Amino acid sequence: MSALSLLRRSVLSLAATLLLGGVALANSGPLVTTDWLEKNLSDPKVRIVEVSVEPGLYERGHIPGAQNIIWHTDLVDTVERDIAKPEKFQVLARKLGLDKDVTIVLYGDSNNWFAAWGAWVFDIYGLRDNVKLLDGGRKKWELEKRPVSTNPLAIKASAFTVAEPNRKLRARLADVVATVEKKSEARVLDIRSADEFSGKIIAPAGFQELALRAGHIPGSVNVPWAQAVNQADGTLKSPEELKKLYANVGIDGSKPVITTCRIGERSSHTWFILSRVLGYQVANYDGSWTEYGNTVGLPISNPAGTVWGGK
Amino acid sequence: MSISDESGALEYQRAREAAMAGPAAVVDRASGPPWVILIALCLAGALAAAIVAVGRHGDPAPQLQLSLILGAAFGFVIQRSRFCFLCIWRDWLDRRDPRGLLGIITALVIGITGYTLIFGAWLPDPSGSRLPPTAHIGPVSIALVLAGLAFGAGMAISGSCLSAHLYRLGEGSPTAPFALIGAVGGFIIGFRSWNGLYLWTIADAPILWLPRHLGYGGALVVSLAVLAVLALFLLRARPLPARRELPEGDPLVAVFRQRWPAWLGGLFVGLIGVGAYLRLSPLGVTAEIGSRSRQLAAAFELLPSRLEGLDSFRGCATIIRDALLTPNGLFIFGLVVAALIAALLAGEFKPRWPSIGQLLRGLTGGVLLGWGTVIGLGCTVGTLLSGISAGALSGWVFATALAAGATVVLRLGRRFGLPL
Repeated sequence: MSALSLLRRSVLSLAATLLLGGVALANSGPLVTTDWLEKNLSDPKVRIVEVSVEPGLYERGHIPGAQNIIWHTDLVDTVERDIAKPEKFQVLARKLGLDKDVTIVLYGDSNNWFAAWGAWVFDIYGLRDNVKLLDGGRKKWELEKRPVSTNPLAIKASAFTVAEPNRKLRARLADVVATVEKKSEARVLDIRSADEFSGKIIAPAGFQELALRAGHIPGSVNVPWAQAVNQADGTLKSPEELKKLYANVGIDGSKPVITTCRIGERSSHTWFILSRVLGYQVANYDGSWTEYGNTVGLPISNPAGTVWGGK
Repeated sequence: MSISDESGALEYQRAREAAMAGPAAVVDRASGPPWVILIALCLAGALAAAIVAVGRHGDPAPQLQLSLILGAAFGFVIQRSRFCFLCIWRDWLDRRDPRGLLGIITALVIGITGYTLIFGAWLPDPSGSRLPPTAHIGPVSIALVLAGLAFGAGMAISGSCLSAHLYRLGEGSPTAPFALIGAVGGFIIGFRSWNGLYLWTIADAPILWLPRHLGYGGALVVSLAVLAVLALFLLRARPLPARRELPEGDPLVAVFRQRWPAWLGGLFVGLIGVGAYLRLSPLGVTAEIGSRSRQLAAAFELLPSRLEGLDSFRGCATIIRDALLTPNGLFIFGLVVAALIAALLAGEFKPRWPSIGQLLRGLTGGVLLGWGTVIGLGCTVGTLLSGISAGALSGWVFATALAAGATVVLRLGRRFGLPL
């Protein structure tokens, strides 16, 4: 690197630091690029957290300095079928050194499916604007042949205090029923596959958590979650493309949105897009089809004509 | 007492006698026609090309490629060192020859030590409710004991365990193909009997992971101490022959033609197991057979609509894969091809037409092997080697039960005049 370019970089980064207050650089949006993250790996104000579906992935190599969240135990209350209680979340966040004054970058496998779910839980407990998703997640990081590490990093615990759970980010059965009964103006966006939505199948092959009936919530519209992603590298499509994708089914931000899927995890990916990238008012319905489709006395829509699991 | 020819024990004995006579005799025995070596070299070239091709076109390329490499290494090592659990056990039962068992102990010492190093980095505190990711730590139940007994009986009847049948396939064994076909049947019977056994005993069975109760240091010390006591007992039972100076031999002969000593095989098996766990998943040879059997059973509507709890356990029998190329599939492919190459070079590739007896023994033993694998969540490699290495009590229980099953069937079978 020449002396001139070194000087120019120093001046630029100094200016950026003064202007934006350290790590806020490149952080105005809800996404960070792999490039940005690699350049900021050693920044003490950046915390990287992996939330992957596949066990053992983190342990066998992760983005240098990343810490691990195991989705099915760390962020849930297994007994009450609920997200982790505030106390539990606070313990976890403190242990990982998370707080509002650090930039938290979440990433994971399967196009950030569970990383987005992590961002939703974080948001509920008050970690919102400083929480980013690594655009493309593990997939893009690996495709670009960037380094991974297995060395643990010593992180100083934070003094994070959990906020009162933000009720607006979470839809409950009653909220969904209100849309069915037209007592609410919210629109329900179902992100499952077309075959699940139509009722041809109850769930993708191999999934154990099921509903008794097949179909969807009456009045809901369908945009499978993977349509929001560039398949080549797992990055999100551009905000314009995303806007168009959802506007095609009438979701344009003019009315509150409820995202739903089978157990409420894939739908948080779409929740992240609508809420954080497009700025719509969105609540994720984590009861989803396993709750709605099993509830006694509620109507369903089943275009495939299958309705019941048993024949 | 007779030594069975079919299992390769007789050939092994002859090779050993030849080895005792000095290196010259071994070279005479092993020198084969040049075209055999040419075929072996072509196969090795093809395997190398496959490794390169998988690295370029596989998805996910690094995992598939590494699986193929590790499978080839494993196949070569177990063929060269005759790492066959039944042969090893029979050597001990029939001749009080402890060398094979010392080889298994070597593999376990390396495995336990290596796994402990990895666990410490992945799960610094073992005392919580979590298990190390993907390790083969299974529930300890009556079903596990039954699985071990069945697997042991299946080994005794068919002539070896599943991993050894796979390398025997590369040696042209007449029994191995039928044992593997039988195993598919056994897998399907296993899936069909799973739900009943799960509800009866497996669901409530404890999953005992030694480091959780003893700490990493404690589990390591206790496991190594048990293995040391076993090794001392074996060594005392029949002292090894006086140490001979190894003749200055041709290293090519030592590697490719002479049998490797069992401890050397064990050393490499242990290292391959640790490497596989670090980078891919615990060593196992039945995941692919299990997964394909499950697909087959589903296609013929022989599979229960739900296999209660099966997919929540880690092990060899539980993974569903739809892809054409899977890591375990390539592992098996590499294993068989490398064993074939090793057998060709060593003059141990001896294909024979199967007799009716071999066919029946292969099929019957194979069914028991397959059933034992599903219910025990793995075989001698997945549950015994990888399980014990991981500090799972299930591995020790399975090992004890299968030794008992094999012993009883061998003794009873011979009493009734069966060629076991």
